[in-house]
Amino acid sequence: MTTADEAIARPAAIPEAHAAKRNRRPFGRWFRDLGWRHLVGILAIAFAVFPVIWVISASVNPSGSLVGQTIWPDNPTLDNFRELLDQEFVPADAIASAGEIKVPYTSWFRNTMIIAGAAAIGQTFLSALAAYAFSRMRFKGRRVGLLALLLVQMFPQLLAFTAIFVLMTDMKDVFPAIGLGTHAGLILVYLGGALGVNTWLMKGFFDTIPKDLDEAAKVDGASANQIYFQVILPLAAPILAVIGLLSFIFTINDFVVAAAVLGQGEESNFTLAIGLFRFLDAGFEKNWGAFAAGALMTGIPVIILFQLLQRYIVSGLTQGGVKG
Amino acid sequence: MTGTDLKQEETRRVESRRVSFGLGLGVKLLFLAAVNALAVFGLPRMIEEKAWLFAAFTVVATLSLDWIYLSSKGATLPLKYLIPGTILLLVFQVWPVLSTAYIAFTNYGTGNVFTFDQALDKILEDSTFPQDDDPRLDAKPLAIVDGELIGEIALYLVDEAGVEFLGTADGLEELAVEDVVLDGDRVVGVGDYEVLGLAQVSDLQEEYSSLEIPAGENKLIKLTRGVSGASLVSPTLEYDSDTGTLTDLTTGVVYEQVEGTFTAPSGEEIAPGWRAIIGFDNFTKVLTNESIRGPFVRVFIWTFVFAIGSVFFTFIVGLGLAITLNQPEMKGQRVYRSLLIIPYALPSFLSALIWAGLLNQEFGVINEFLNLDIPWLRDQWMAKVSVLLVNTWLGFPYMFLISTGALQAIPDNLKEAAAIDGATSRQAFRQVTLPLLLVSLAPLLIASFAFNFNNFNTIFLLNKGGPPIAGAQTPAGHTDILISYTYRLAFESGRGADFGLAAGIGILIFMIVATISAISFKRTAVFEEINQ
Repeated sequence: MTTADEAIARPAAIPEAHAAKRNRRPFGRWFRDLGWRHLVGILAIAFAVFPVIWVISASVNPSGSLVGQTIWPDNPTLDNFRELLDQEFVPADAIASAGEIKVPYTSWFRNTMIIAGAAAIGQTFLSALAAYAFSRMRFKGRRVGLLALLLVQMFPQLLAFTAIFVLMTDMKDVFPAIGLGTHAGLILVYLGGALGVNTWLMKGFFDTIPKDLDEAAKVDGASANQIYFQVILPLAAPILAVIGLLSFIFTINDFVVAAAVLGQGEESNFTLAIGLFRFLDAGFEKNWGAFAAGALMTGIPVIILFQLLQRYIVSGLTQGGVKG
Repeated sequence: MTGTDLKQEETRRVESRRVSFGLGLGVKLLFLAAVNALAVFGLPRMIEEKAWLFAAFTVVATLSLDWIYLSSKGATLPLKYLIPGTILLLVFQVWPVLSTAYIAFTNYGTGNVFTFDQALDKILEDSTFPQDDDPRLDAKPLAIVDGELIGEIALYLVDEAGVEFLGTADGLEELAVEDVVLDGDRVVGVGDYEVLGLAQVSDLQEEYSSLEIPAGENKLIKLTRGVSGASLVSPTLEYDSDTGTLTDLTTGVVYEQVEGTFTAPSGEEIAPGWRAIIGFDNFTKVLTNESIRGPFVRVFIWTFVFAIGSVFFTFIVGLGLAITLNQPEMKGQRVYRSLLIIPYALPSFLSALIWAGLLNQEFGVINEFLNLDIPWLRDQWMAKVSVLLVNTWLGFPYMFLISTGALQAIPDNLKEAAAIDGATSRQAFRQVTLPLLLVSLAPLLIASFAFNFNNFNTIFLLNKGGPPIAGAQTPAGHTDILISYTYRLAFESGRGADFGLAAGIGILIFMIVATISAISFKRTAVFEEINQ
């Protein structure tokens, strides 16, 4: 805020008339050239961040409800956070807050981290393996394989959630450990989507790594595996990190597939997306404060991560978009 | 490097290679062992469930994994890298997509969730449900006990006339006085069988409750009150496997298989039904049933309006900001950028839920702040506006980022050339910058359209697709898009799930999205890359 406030306030703050005269014109021109840009930028920032500010405010509001919010709550408190994190904690105003029902927020958080973490690592690894073969090897069926992946990309897994539900229901009878309602099953479903989404993107990047490097390693007697693990992967580390992070965020955000696989099971097995949605849906008025606290504890780390890797993510997104 | 250094280096490298080879082999063998163990564990169950396709796939997949990873031929080398992802892709993406097409032609849903065999078992089981006027017997649980082991189970039964029987799965046997082992006047055994205590029975509940003792003439004896009472029941239905029909033994009515349900000529049906192919019914239902068609057409149109509107508004806002802020001499650009991407960085499911709270009519901050009482999410038109507003909030940072990138990629000399030719800066923008920008961003805009076409989170988590469309036979709301409508058909319908119809609409979305992707691929000339 300060840049624009100062900029606008500056001319008025100068008392001497001649000074004002000397400065008015430059300010006018400054505003025409740059000042209005700052003004637009600040309005845009206000639009972008005000929901987040309200959530921060709600999370420390002692009333814990949607009713009677103010930007600066009186007597800010961390009760909403404690209610989610401490199973023993009983809020002072138990009726206005989530009440007697304990919210298994920590379980949801843990589930989400495990599922999204495993999915991100697994997806990156699987698609890097495939991309290596497509980028570095020439074999029968390579063209068909690449075309097939392109075709698969046209049919997103998300739309087949009904069939995934049916598949996992049947799977439960054969392999109960990866059937409907299990985290392992959900992770496998996400891994199944790995090749379709990331292989092309990754292959494009591998193609930019000079082949001379593998040739040199090959002359030194390196096997295909060694070239992959010791030459290609280290060089591809940045793109691997981006794809990993994007899959991680994508998985955290997924509601449909997660709900198809876990939605009819135990509440404590949910992911954050399903859990927080049902929690808030059960009563906006009474659960708002606790929800806000939960949303911050999930959202802030992701935002920070995003900020740190901003540059890479943007380039990844742009390329990913180009490739569909 | 001296000669000795080189030599040492060489030795070190050879050693490290040997170590990594050993580790790789170990991992490989462990992986193969796990896969084979899983297959061996799963196959008998698949055969038991008659999941032939599943079983065949498991055998083929396991054998190819073994062959590919154990073979030392060069030909399998690419496959070593491709096969793990491919198997998962086939099971969890290709198969669901194909079976969506299959489910669309079935009646799968509430009332028809079982396979035919499961449904028939359940119907026959239900038809032996004891009636109030069935004769009752007293019972005691028996079993052949050998130390800790409990063998064959049976029942000691006494009918209303006081006649004692031994009941086994093979049939009834009337007992003579000397067969019964007494302790005082308490029965403790029959022949080789012992009467079990409650603790022993508790592990065998299932076995006892499913024990059916044939008692002649279509009758059988089943336990009805824990393990201490049984009834002589008469099944009311009989299945004829030649004609595939069920006959009601009391009335003589014959039930035939009609679209996944046993149906009498009078139209009376026996629940549960099973998954059966019903042809194009799900599709014709959408076209001919007025209370489905009306809402469906609305949802269909709104899906396009929503997707196009989202791309339009996010792009206008994002591009406008990019043009405004992309000024080299402007200070604080990094701060702007970091703050402006916050809506994009925040996980979208949270954003949608947060906005649902902000837009709440009675208590939401926005109405309170503006001192208004606008039904943001309850009025059908306001709800549409709200959904687009929230989606613009969610999506403009992305458009801002990619527009900034594209603007910076346009070479300055083009703009200079335009200026030299006497173009005003507005003309230069409209005739040089904007066309170049649109060319480079077109694929991303198409991708954004495809994404928003299925933007489930914004629609469902913000307002559950509501407000509901009045008079709709299926759960449909004014802001529902096809994907959220499909989801509600499958999981959120008050009338029970309709997977068949959901899959049918899923197929429709597949076709639209595939068309969009095909256009997008064609534009980006992605096919040329294949031959590289």
